[in-house]
Order: sequence, then structure tokens, then C-alpha cells
Amino acid sequence: MDAPVLSARGIVKRFPGVVANDGVDLDVRRGEVHTVLGENGAGKSTLAAVLSGYYRPDEGELRVDGERVTLHSPRDGLARGIGMVHQHFRLVDRFTVAENIALGDGSQPVVLDTSRLEREVTALGERFGLSIDPRARVGDLSVGERQRVEIVNTLYRGADVLLLDEPTAVLTPREVDVLFATVRALRAAGRAVVFISHKLGEVMEVSDRITVMRNGRVTGDVRAADTDARELARMMVGRDVDLSPRRAPRAPAAPMLRVRLDGIELDVRAGELVGVAGVAGNGQLELAETIAGLRTPPAGRVEIGGVDVTGRGARAARRAGLAYVPEDRLGTGLAPSLTIAENLLLTRRRGFFVNRRRAAAQARDAIERFDIKASGPDAVTRVLSGGNAQRVLLARELAGEPRVLVAAAPTRGLDVGATEAVRELLDAFRARGGAVLLLSEDLDEVLALSDRIVVLYRGRIAHETPGDGADVEQIGYAMAGVV
Amino acid sequence: MTSFALERRPAPRWWHAVLAPVVSVFAALLAGAVFLLLTDRSPSTVYRALLESGFTTWFGFTDTVSVAIPLIFTGLAAAFAFRMNLYNIGAEGQLYAGAIASAWAGLALAPHLPRPAALVAVLLAGAIGGATWIVVPALTRAFLGTSEIITTLLLNYVALYLMRYLIFGSASYWRDPTSTNFPQGKVIDPKAQLAVFGDTRVHWGLVVALALVVVFWAVRAFTSFGFDMKVLGDSPAAARYAGIPVARTVILVLLVSGALGGLAGASEVAGRAYTLDPNGLALSLGYTGIVVAALARYNPFAVALVAIAMGGLQNAGISLQSTPGNHVPIAISYMLEGIVLLFALGGEVFRRHRLVLRRAVPA
Amino acid sequence: MNDNVWVVALAAAVSVGTPLTLAAVGEILAERAGVLNLGLEGMMLLGAVCAFLAADAWHDPWLALLCGIVAGAALSLVHAFLSITLRANQIVSGLALVIFGTGLAEFLGQPVEGDRRGASFVAVHMSGLHDLPIVGPVAFGQNVLVYVTVAVVAVAAFYLRRTRAGLALRAVGESPETADARGIRVARVRYVHVLLGGVLAGFGGAYQALARVPSWSQAATTNGIGWIALALVVFASWKPWRALAGALVFGFALRANFTLQAADITFVPAEFLSMLPYVLTVLVLVALSFGDLRSRAGAPAALGVPYVRDER
Repeated sequence: MDAPVLSARGIVKRFPGVVANDGVDLDVRRGEVHTVLGENGAGKSTLAAVLSGYYRPDEGELRVDGERVTLHSPRDGLARGIGMVHQHFRLVDRFTVAENIALGDGSQPVVLDTSRLEREVTALGERFGLSIDPRARVGDLSVGERQRVEIVNTLYRGADVLLLDEPTAVLTPREVDVLFATVRALRAAGRAVVFISHKLGEVMEVSDRITVMRNGRVTGDVRAADTDARELARMMVGRDVDLSPRRAPRAPAAPMLRVRLDGIELDVRAGELVGVAGVAGNGQLELAETIAGLRTPPAGRVEIGGVDVTGRGARAARRAGLAYVPEDRLGTGLAPSLTIAENLLLTRRRGFFVNRRRAAAQARDAIERFDIKASGPDAVTRVLSGGNAQRVLLARELAGEPRVLVAAAPTRGLDVGATEAVRELLDAFRARGGAVLLLSEDLDEVLALSDRIVVLYRGRIAHETPGDGADVEQIGYAMAGVV
Repeated sequence: MTSFALERRPAPRWWHAVLAPVVSVFAALLAGAVFLLLTDRSPSTVYRALLESGFTTWFGFTDTVSVAIPLIFTGLAAAFAFRMNLYNIGAEGQLYAGAIASAWAGLALAPHLPRPAALVAVLLAGAIGGATWIVVPALTRAFLGTSEIITTLLLNYVALYLMRYLIFGSASYWRDPTSTNFPQGKVIDPKAQLAVFGDTRVHWGLVVALALVVVFWAVRAFTSFGFDMKVLGDSPAAARYAGIPVARTVILVLLVSGALGGLAGASEVAGRAYTLDPNGLALSLGYTGIVVAALARYNPFAVALVAIAMGGLQNAGISLQSTPGNHVPIAISYMLEGIVLLFALGGEVFRRHRLVLRRAVPA
Repeated sequence: MNDNVWVVALAAAVSVGTPLTLAAVGEILAERAGVLNLGLEGMMLLGAVCAFLAADAWHDPWLALLCGIVAGAALSLVHAFLSITLRANQIVSGLALVIFGTGLAEFLGQPVEGDRRGASFVAVHMSGLHDLPIVGPVAFGQNVLVYVTVAVVAVAAFYLRRTRAGLALRAVGESPETADARGIRVARVRYVHVLLGGVLAGFGGAYQALARVPSWSQAATTNGIGWIALALVVFASWKPWRALAGALVFGFALRANFTLQAADITFVPAEFLSMLPYVLTVLVLVALSFGDLRSRAGAPAALGVPYVRDER
């Protein structure tokens, strides 16, 4: 077997209050797809950042082709042939593809030669089966296309080792297939690919070797051929987890939410959870905000509990019984500099005066009931962890017995424990006869929770299916706009 | 290679909040001393004179308080809006507009009114005048997203020229027709003049200003409108999400801010000059209000205290300039104000962060 | 026909627009790097007074110009330190710069307040070309700094659009995270361009003192043109050549007082003519805000936002 092109020994990276990596070892070889598997918060992304030079480790050493190196910056990493494709793309929207690729490249002439650059980019893309238009503005590209720009960019810099951080999280199933074809082409060309993921299925599909992480430590290092999903899951979580599908236990009743918009006809009944799948930017935000009264649709109607609230404003929608957990929880759903007590008041009806004493009492009660870890009602929301912030948000939205809950990406970025807690809250609300509309880019989540699934594509419902026995391939085609 | 980096303090302590401004002021005085030395002036003499004429003598102090009155108004004007990230830097122009309006009320309305009503009329007219001056920036900011920073600032110049036109450039209603060589404004009706305390220059405008300090605080602390402001200042997206009427709140806050600036003008007309005096009003009271608000970290009670400190600086500057043989221009006050603000801004950061030295391990 | 009031006014507009152009181009560079510097007025005033004092002391216009530039640059570094290193509120920091710069300029200029002397840079007459109708006096009868300014605009535009460093600069203003990930030193790029903004603002102020206003007076030397230059940046969609074009329009408005007097149009009071450029600027800003997207098309996405790498 080849010597590793990139190897890490005893990597430790600490952040205030957290040890993100605690003695991590890793060996990556040429012509191999090496997966780092772990739950959110296991330390995978931190490891990738250390390997690519974005963070400097507090302890431990990195070797490239056997030679010990210190990476001061991502540029150092690239100079050693290590390139990172971030989960959140590092691209300038207003630049063209070619400009994005020239950015920060010291080998470009002082006065840029755009036409030569464009030829090179096209040629490189063709070599690895990545078709991109170098003159296109990145802001106009789809998510999958942007990812291709990132990959071509790292290849253009001569990367031998490509780190892909959760590359499939935002892709449609079809785009995932295209990505995997590219990954295989890279492997065939003798490059090393480090693939970071928390999705067992795709890990088994594409990996040669798998390193499993939990709480910042390596809990397993195995060949893909020698293991199975059950074993990986145990190494990843440390115990058996129940993320099995939850379905409504009883027959649904009358529609609580009626949406009649151009291209979207949707009813959500009491005791029902309807999942909205789709690639980001296909009208999810618009749909959620229209229901929440924040947008006035050009035509159509939204009814909550039989009351027409179309374009009547957020307060009218709430009076009719709406609760809304927006995707951007800290910044939209919660005001970050305000305290927990104040944030619990945010969407409540208030008189001329604000009763601070009652607000503090309510906050103490919510902290108790929702198991929020915070110093008290006066804790500033910004310092809370994602899971605790989401608990504050749900505590407020579920108070006062709403009839309809619209929840957008309610578990994004949360660790396993918090994810389970949030799903239990949604479940309990549904069991009490609430109607839930769940919007999520995470198809697995939609599949796991929904009684019924609709797929949004370009602002219209492209597909609709019951949750039980849903055809994933069919949903994938609908998400990509192929009918 | 070594580099500095800022690190968030894990737990800011209360004394950081006190220490930062105190250190800032001392650092500023030190920096000011350097400028004084460079221009052949003795810092100790200037600072001692500054302290005496601004603070430690009875007349010095009462004059300081009288100078501080408009600064409380303009400081509140800035604090009220800045807290919401609405940067009204037009208090200068709103002050002029308020002065024009209140002088009109003092001339045209007051003779026909009983004394309390006359006083209310001049103050109200000033507030309306100031609010009027910010109508265009407020509406365009709320509905079109036009930067209020530049529009409010530019209107300062328009107000200045308008005021000059009324006294120097035309035989307007405000101008005293008997003053031909040195044009002056007509004196407002005595019923519209704010009374002074004893033999000082401190007038009843102080009471109005302090009352507004309390109102400012109470609105923010206890009312739903204050709560809305707080949310909007922190996160406009959260405000919209919560159904807070964003445009209406923005407009209202800016109008109130403008009205406070206008009251500064009214209090100068009714409490000090008793006439529309373009030269006497153009003392950068509006701009200094921004300094006051920033140093007070937009807290209304601190605004009142800082206004007195800044008032002392300005008052001392005026008397230093007029003392023969000193050769200390009033500009030193403005320069010191600027330095204090710069240092306070820097110091503010250290309240929440600390500077750490990072030594990179050699590769 | 070159004595016609309108030709004279046009020629004057070029001269009046020059410091506006300089300050606006400098601000464009700083804002393209993501740093809003509202302190133009302060930097210009300080540049003006330093240039004036230096001209009095050494009688060398170029040395005086250099002094003005250094003064503007020094003040801009204060803003850079506060807003980039200490991540202070850029708006308040910029305002502090104006207040400090104005105060310091007045303090330094107090001994020479009101002194009069001739301009250090006078118009050069290019024989032959200068006699061309209209274009002659407008384009070929200016002082040498006007031509330097046109060159500055050309260089800045080329730098922004065509060079590797210009690309890095724009990336820092659009998406500092991306620039950082590509190994560009965000703080350094921002420092350099805030400094360049200070250099050009100081240049603009020095121009006022050396080529336009024959005496020093705190109130009259810049008279708010720093603020007009800020509006000009928005008007120009952060593009240097458009800033030059806009500066001519505003230059014309700033001279309206003299022009209308010369043209015997006297029914508008002088004070109202003095208001004209400010009112015009407000109107232009408001007009630009209609058609939401177009006006903000050029605004750098990260303008005014401090950059912190490790946010966890």
C-alpha cells in the first residue's frame, strides 16, 4: 500500500469551552476516497479546517508526503496540494466563475489575462467531467454548479488532496449522483478525496476507507468493504438512536391551514404533519412568509383555522392561531442581543406598557419546562447554543396553544440530542391536534417525520405523496425539476 | 512573526464599563497635551484654566450648565436614533429649523397668548420645526432605503443658509427692521422667554431637558414602543418577523429625534438669545450632541452628565479664547472633543474584548 | 466666445469638481474594500490646513501638496485602526474623524485664519489648444493638478477592473470570508485602501487650499464638499469614471452663485444658490433610491461590516 499523502497525528483543537478535536489521527492516500463520518458537532468540520490550514491545531502534527508541515493559512495548504471545498461555498456572488478562480491565485499575472484564464478553466472542467461556463456570474448559478466551481478552483490550484465538507447536504439526489461521478473521476486520476459526511447511506456508496468521529475523538477507522451501516452507526453515536419514522397515530381531522396560491394548493389538517421538500431557493421562504402574513401574494388565499389572513400582516396570522419557526433562528426568530425573557415577549400581544416582572416569571417557567440551559431569564440569547436557542423559540411559539405550526429547517445545525428534542416537540404538538408544516432541505428529515410530502420546485408544487412508502427517487426527480 | 488579536472577554465585569471611558478621557487629555506642546502652549496652564473656567468656579459651572442644556437635547436626539442604528447626524440643521420656528412662535403667537401657553407654543414650535426638517430623510429612509446619514447631514447646510437668509439676506419677518448695519433678529415676546435661575444663565430649559431624559428612559424601559425600538435596533429581520411595523417605527423614531434637535434650538431662542441669532446658534451644538450621545453610550442619564462635561469644555474654550494673552483658540475644545470620542470608541472595544499578543511558532 | 459666462462656468466646474473627484475616488477605494469612511470632510480640512501652512512656510507648492496628503493619510489611519483592528462602529468612528479633523484644522489654522495669498497652482495655458472654442478653456486651461486627477481616475478604474490586486480588493469588500479563504489578508487590504482614501482626501483638501481658495478659513475651505463626495460615491455606483462625471455636475452647482451673478440673473437670493448643491445632492440620492436594485447594484456587499475570522 502507498505511503499516505496526508497524515495527521494527535490533532487537538480547542475553542472556548469546547475541545473540538481531541487527539485525532488520520491517514489519507492517493487514489482513495477517505470519509470522515460523524454527527453534527463531532468535530469533522474542525478537522477539515485544520487539515486545510484554516485553523492551526493547538497540538499535534501534519505530514504531507512524509514531511512535517505547519500550515499558517489555506494558501499554505494549497501550496502543499491540499484544497478544501467548504460546506458553505467560499465564492463571490458578483464575480464571474473565472474571476472567482483567479482570486487569490498568486500565479496570475499582475494585469489579468481573462481570455487565457477562461480557456484554462474550460479545459480543466472538461478533463474531470465538470461542465462550467467561465463567464457566468456565480450569483446566477445553481447550488450544484457552484459546488463545481469550488472543485474546479481547488483543482486549478493543483490540489492533490480535495477536502469536501458535507458536499451533499444541499444537493438534490440527482446532483449527488453527478458529484459522485466526479469524485470517482478524481480517484481514478490519482487524487485523494477526503469526504466529510454524516449520512451513512452515501458514505457506504462512495468511500474506500472510513474514519468515524464522536465528540472530537476518532471512534473507528475501517475499510468500507469490511463494515456495514449498523456498525458505523454505533461507532458514530455510541448507542442505538431512534430516528425511525414518526407518523400520525390517528386519523387526521379538519384542515387547519388552507393555502390556495398560484401553483400551491395545500391543506394541513389537525394532527397532521406535512413536509415540504425541495432545494433551497425554490420558494420555501416565500411560502412560509406568505402563510405567516409577512408577504402579500399577488393572487390567492391563505386561511388559518378558517380565518382568511392573506396579506393581513404577521399579527393577524398569529391571532388566527399561527406559530412560525423561521429558518434563521438567531436573527429572525430571536433578536440576538435581547434576553430570553424579552425574546419570549417578541411575538406576544402587548399593551401600551410591557410588564417586565410577568415576562421574567414566564421566562423562568419556560426555562424549566423546555429544559433550556441558560443562566436565567436575563441571559442574552446570542450566547445560547443552537439547541437552546431553538428551545426558546419553540417555547414561545408553542405557548398559547396555536393551531398551526410552520417550522423551517428546525433541526439544522443542531446536535443529535437537540435534534431529537425538537422532533419530539413537533411530534407532541401534532399529537395534541396541531397542524404542522415542516419545510426542510434535509430530505431524510422530511421522510422521517411527514405524514404527507410535497416537493417545491420553482415556487410550485411539483410532486405530492403520502409519507408512508414515499418513492425517494421520484421525490429526487421532482426536486430537480424533472417530471 | 507576532500579531495582535482581539479576544472576546469571557465575562465582562462591571468595572470594565466604568474604566473604559475614564481611561479614554485621560488618554485623550494626554494626546491633547501633545498637540498643545507641539504648538508651544503649556498643557498644565491650559488644562488648569479649562478646569477653572469650566467647572470649579460658581460662575464657570453655572455657565457650563447653561451651555449643556442644548447639548442634552441634541445628545438625546442622537442617542434616541443611534440606538436603533438610525444615524441622524442632522441635529445641527434641526436645531436651526427649530430655532426659526420657535422664534416665529415667539414673535407671532406669544403676544396673543397667556404666559404658560406662550412658553408651550415656542417649545412646541421648535419641536415641530426640528421634526419638519427630518421629514424627507425619515420618509425616504423608511420607504426607499435612502441613507439617512448623508441626507440629514446635507440638510444642515440648507438650514444654515435658510437661517442666514432670514436675518442677513432679506428683510424677513424675523429680522429687526431697525438694525440695518448689523442685521439682527427681532426680540421675541417676553411672555415666551424662559426664566433664569437667580443670577445665573441657567434657564428653565434645563428642567424640560431633564424631564425628557426621564421620559426617554421610561419609554424605552416600560412601553411597547420602546420594546419595538429595541428589537428593531437589534435585528430588523426579527422586528419584521414579529409583526412590528418597521417603516412606521423608523419614521416615528426619526421624527422624535428631529423634534429633540428642534427643542435644542427652541431652548436657545427662548432661554438664551431671545431672538434668532444665526452666529450665536452656529456653535456645532448638533455635532457635539453626537459626541455626547456616543460617550454616554446612548444612555439618557449618562447623556445629561456627559452633556455637562462637554458643555464645560465648550464653555471653557469660549472663555479661554477671550482671555487676552492666552492664544488658546476655542478650537481646542472641538479638538479635545474629537480625541475623547476617538479614544472612547477604541476604549469601548476593550470593555468587551481584550488585546492578546499572538506569537506564531516559527515554521 | 470663450469669454461667454457659460463657458467660464463650465471651465470652473472642472476646477471645482476636482477635489470632489479626488475625495470620491479615494472613498470608492475604501468602500470597495468594505470600509465606510464618513470622515472625508475631516481629512480634507486637515489636508487643506496643512497644505496652507506648509505653503506659507516653504513656498513650495509640491511640498505643500505632500503635507496635505500626509495629513489626510495620517487621519485615515486612525479610522483604519478603530474600524479594522478594533472593529468599532464605522459610522461613529467616521463622524469622530470629522469632529476631530475639523477641530484640529481650526486649531492649527487659527494663526493664519483669514490670511490671503495667491494660488500656488495656477492654470497652465497650452498654446493653440487653449484657443479652441469651448473645449479650449474647459479641457486645456486648467492647473496641473486637474490633469493629475484625471490620471488618478484612470489608474483607479484600471486597477479596480483589470488587475489581480483590484480583484482581491473587490473580493474583500464583497465577501471577506471568501477572500480570507483564498489567502488574501483582509485586514491588510482594508488598511491599504482606507489609507489610499486618506491620501486622496488629503490631496483634495490640499487642492482646495493651493489652487482654489486663496485664504484659510475653517468654515469656507471645504464647506461640506466631503459630504457631497460621499453622496457622489453612491451616485457613481462605486465607479471612478462615473465619479468624475458626477463631480462635474456638482462642481457646476457649487459655482451656481458666481455663474448666475455673472449672467446677470439676480432674482434668486445668494443664500438659496448656496443651498443648491446640498439640495441637489439630497434630490439625487432620493432619486437613486427609486428603482431599488439599480441604485445599490454597485454597493459592496460587506460595506461597513467588520470582519472576524473565528466566530465560534
